[in-house]
Amino acid sequence: MGGASQLFKTDLEGLDRLIRKLRSGGYVVYGPVKQGRSWFFLEIDSVKQVDLNYVRTVLPPKKLLHPPREKLFEFKLDDGFEVSEKPTPSAVALFGVHPCDLKAIERQDEFFSQTPEDPYYLARRRNTLIIGLTCTRVDENCFCLSRGTGPEVSTGFDILITDVGNGYLLEPGSAKGLELLKSLGFQEAGDEYLEAKQKLIEELKKSFTKHMPSEGLAELAKSLLDHEVWKETAERCLSCGNCSLVCPTCYCFDVYDVLELNLRSGVRVRELDSCQLLEYAEVALGGNFRRNRFQRLRHWMLCKFGAAGGGLYSSCVGCGRCIVYCPASIDLTEVAGRLRGGG
Amino acid sequence: MKLKVGVFKFTSCSGCQVELIRMNEQLPELLNLVEFKYWAMASSKLEDGPYDLALVEGAISTPECIEEVKAIREKSRVLVALGDCAVTGGVPSIRNWMSQREAETIVYPKPGCIRSTRVYGIDEYVKVDYYLKGCPPRLENILEVFKAVILGVKPRLRQHPVCVECKFYENECLLTTYKQPCMGPVTAAGCGAICPNVGRVCEGCYGPMSDPNIASMVERLKEIGLSDDEILRKFRKYAGMSKLYREVAKL
Ligand code: SF4
Ligand code: SF4
Ligand code: SF4
Repeated sequence: MGGASQLFKTDLEGLDRLIRKLRSGGYVVYGPVKQGRSWFFLEIDSVKQVDLNYVRTVLPPKKLLHPPREKLFEFKLDDGFEVSEKPTPSAVALFGVHPCDLKAIERQDEFFSQTPEDPYYLARRRNTLIIGLTCTRVDENCFCLSRGTGPEVSTGFDILITDVGNGYLLEPGSAKGLELLKSLGFQEAGDEYLEAKQKLIEELKKSFTKHMPSEGLAELAKSLLDHEVWKETAERCLSCGNCSLVCPTCYCFDVYDVLELNLRSGVRVRELDSCQLLEYAEVALGGNFRRNRFQRLRHWMLCKFGAAGGGLYSSCVGCGRCIVYCPASIDLTEVAGRLRGGG
Repeated sequence: MKLKVGVFKFTSCSGCQVELIRMNEQLPELLNLVEFKYWAMASSKLEDGPYDLALVEGAISTPECIEEVKAIREKSRVLVALGDCAVTGGVPSIRNWMSQREAETIVYPKPGCIRSTRVYGIDEYVKVDYYLKGCPPRLENILEVFKAVILGVKPRLRQHPVCVECKFYENECLLTTYKQPCMGPVTAAGCGAICPNVGRVCEGCYGPMSDPNIASMVERLKEIGLSDDEILRKFRKYAGMSKLYREVAKL
């Protein structure tokens, strides 16, 4: 989208105006806020609360589109069977989403738009405006470059913000984004802004130390189901599920009913699940397709390598979260490296 | 027909029963469904079985308890271990790691008349249908069992680790980010991650989750600087007598 004619620029105050404008337009705005030693997407009312140099949040913005736990509907059994649907979700603006997470949202969008569509996800997604943010730094666990999911992005946002040093470049990615930028009266940015961004991205690309190229990885992993790396890594794996719960592309969920004590009404709940958990592949009478820990770890990684049933929808975008939050320091890029014959 | 329920207590602090009493405004609704035939903490009117559902709190620690719990099993269609003490022996079971005599002398000024056995959860002696883990189990989970027994379905009691619920609340990870000895990765969920939610490590009070990787957890705790002795105490504290932990707890 775009074309050089449609670029805008602003300063920090301008970003603040953007946030205020969204809020007065009925959006609940979420941005990356630092608390303790970590960042979180939290509700914000000013750019001052936001850390524009953040690296990654604990949970990806997925938490607002495909929440860890949500009430789908309420039901009641009287003469008939009554179901009360959820009201339309409120409008949400995600401010400051990094490229890897933007790509992950695109994959979730595609996944939940397949037949049968997921009305809960799509209702929220339709009411969501996304403001991307080019990273200003990468850490030792970022590897979007080798996944083709960053640090440059051209889709997946309504507006993309880039800090070019002496100001912010604003690129619209949708008609809605363009309209918003125009309505705020931001000045058009000259080509020097784009050039500055390009330079910045080239610099950023040099600082990546972790890599997990996609080329042939899915096929390779599928052909090496008996590789020793699976069992070796599983010896350390705690089956805690942290890796998949923080992953921006893991979408698997469980659905269950919670009955009231009157046993006539209740709620249907959907909750994130994880294939790393023993219960995930359990079927009637206690049967289980992945009883062994290594089978579960292998399945999860195959999925992230793009080799599971979900194909690319759930594959890795290189955000590094699963590595940072694995209590056993398990690193899927190392496993991929072993499969490729290194180490 | 209301469900006939008995609530029984062995070696325990009664906290699990208190959790049940704490249901307050839900009590009238529950009383539409069940009839407490035997619950000494709530009523002095105690009726003999048979019971549709027996909730048994407490560990088994004397020869008398063994006979009593067997009698309760005989009279009950569904028997539930209510809380850690009944599930694995719980906190009282820490006395299993010292001599019987020593424990008795510490607690009683004149231990002469005390006759105690090694402390076990009730399934050492009787068949248990459902386990309500926790110290205490959360009311929500206790009510889940009532509802499931009435409807004749399996209760939905979480066996996956606390980390799952902890991530739902997006807590900063105490183990990975702060190098604190959080037992979340090996501990069964169901508590709602209430300790990590307030910035405190999981103490492991729900006992082992369905498939804990104990050897790896021990390594993780060593990595962050815990001594062998501290690690031992971590596993003994609530569920050292559980079949999964007995080895690491060095029974
Ligand atoms: S697999 Fe790991 S690095 Fe890749 S997207 Fe998921 S959490 Fe991020
Ligand atoms: S976070 Fe690490 S230890 Fe936990 S399930 Fe994932 S790979 Fe295993
Ligand atoms: S704080 Fe504890 S319970 Fe929470 S994710 Fe970390 S290890 Fe698991």
